[in-house]
Amino acid sequence: MNIFTIITAVIVLGIVWGGVTFFLSRAMKYEKLKEENGQK
Amino acid sequence: MEEQKSGRHGGEFFSSRWALIIATIGIAVGTGNIWRFSRIVAQNGGGSFLIPWVIFLLIWSVPLIIAEFAIGKSTRFGPVGAIAKTGGKRFAWMGAFIVFVSTAIMFYYSVVTGWCLRYFFSAISGNLFNTKDQLVYWNEFSSSLQPLVFHFVAMAFVAFIIYRGVTKGIEKVTKFMVPSLLGILIILFIRAVTLPGAIDGIKYFFTPDLSTILDYKVWLNALTQNAWDTGAGWGLILTYAIYMKKKEDISLNAALIGFGNNSVSLLAGITIFSTVFALSSVDAMQQISQAGPANTGLTFIYLPQLFAKISSSYVINVFFASIFFIALFFAAVTSLMSMVELSTRTLIDFGLKRQKAIIIVAVVGFVLGVPSAINLDFFANQDWVWGVGLILSGAFISFSIIRYGVDKFRTEIINGYGSDVKIGKWFNFVISILIPIQVVVLIAWWLISSVSWDPQWWNPFHSLNTGTVLFQWIIVLAALIFLNKTMVKLIFEREEP
Repeated sequence: MNIFTIITAVIVLGIVWGGVTFFLSRAMKYEKLKEENGQK
Repeated sequence: MEEQKSGRHGGEFFSSRWALIIATIGIAVGTGNIWRFSRIVAQNGGGSFLIPWVIFLLIWSVPLIIAEFAIGKSTRFGPVGAIAKTGGKRFAWMGAFIVFVSTAIMFYYSVVTGWCLRYFFSAISGNLFNTKDQLVYWNEFSSSLQPLVFHFVAMAFVAFIIYRGVTKGIEKVTKFMVPSLLGILIILFIRAVTLPGAIDGIKYFFTPDLSTILDYKVWLNALTQNAWDTGAGWGLILTYAIYMKKKEDISLNAALIGFGNNSVSLLAGITIFSTVFALSSVDAMQQISQAGPANTGLTFIYLPQLFAKISSSYVINVFFASIFFIALFFAAVTSLMSMVELSTRTLIDFGLKRQKAIIIVAVVGFVLGVPSAINLDFFANQDWVWGVGLILSGAFISFSIIRYGVDKFRTEIINGYGSDVKIGKWFNFVISILIPIQVVVLIAWWLISSVSWDPQWWNPFHSLNTGTVLFQWIIVLAALIFLNKTMVKLIFEREEP
């Protein structure tokens, strides 16, 4: 596979799928914190 | 803190952060993620398109989703009242234009929803595979009265959901449909990437064509696609934000929705490229690039041919075709719901009761969708005119924030009560500089390029040119500016006795 193909795939999937995983984990963390603080 | 049981939200809220996110993902993920995205990638050099597409996610979609959440949550009005309250009452017509554009799209989107439902029935009954020529099958369907019947069913179904309210209607339905849609896409993705020859499609999808990466058209198509498929700037997310609790976060939820939406586009894109390259006996690229109104070529003519070849088992082929079309239907319904809610919410702001407002929206939505259901040229014209109009909608949202004061908006509303993550000053730069530049460049490109493909670019009675866009925009804008005072009076005189 072409090196440019691999680089593009890593950048695009890394940012988009990596981003959604990161933001999801942050949201879960804040929800857990709110639950522990009795805000739910 | 207990939320007030009264107020413009009518005491109704999304029950949790996850319910809000799922419902808003339902707005963003529509049929455009599944069929339009693949076509645009194919027409714009594969990997060369994906890089600017990711950049515009960051500088167009996410900032506008943040803005819509913040305006809806702080004003608790639909777009007309919200823009008037944020940007000034003289500019209520801008909010009305946002409503008009999304409502005009709703008229023909209900028709598309009906097509998806009809093709699901065709697939699950096996009828889809009993025809030798899918083009003839599509032409017979689209020229019959069936699109009208399915348009009616789609509009009635969605109106019923909205009638049930936010918690019992929108939230309940999206909690079922959105996870189901994602599950189906994952099943289709796994099947597609494991087909022999699928790797060629994946390679094409990610291989950048270095000769086109600096082509301005590729960048502009990347921006258009982002504006289209994230739902940023449509006023739909603003409307759902009316029903978010005060303690809910804005910026983290907005980022999750923008990235989540584009993740689904990638999933669908890899699935379609893998399937087409693995099973196509003719030029795969030509098939993916094929357009037609609402991308009918790829979705309703070519993909059914491929589903017939997915395995040697008739039952398995019927299964995959059925889940594909039900996924499309779910994607369409959850987006159509938000358009119906936006129109309904606007009438409620004007003083109508919810039930009466929904009946009016459903009846008008059905009647004004009829021309698109029976005439594909009219459909294509409306898709063109109001699709470009979405860019203007995004500009009006940005304008209202600039009028309010971008820094004040960021610090007091976005980073105010309930925020989990604080947004930095980059937001000021994006809203006040980058988005206006993107709007000007994009609209200029749309208009200039349409001049080049129609010598009679000024003729308003051609279906896909500059003249028809300007003609319809000017009529609508003039009417809304004329009605500005009346709209403000209807909304705020009841609010401020």
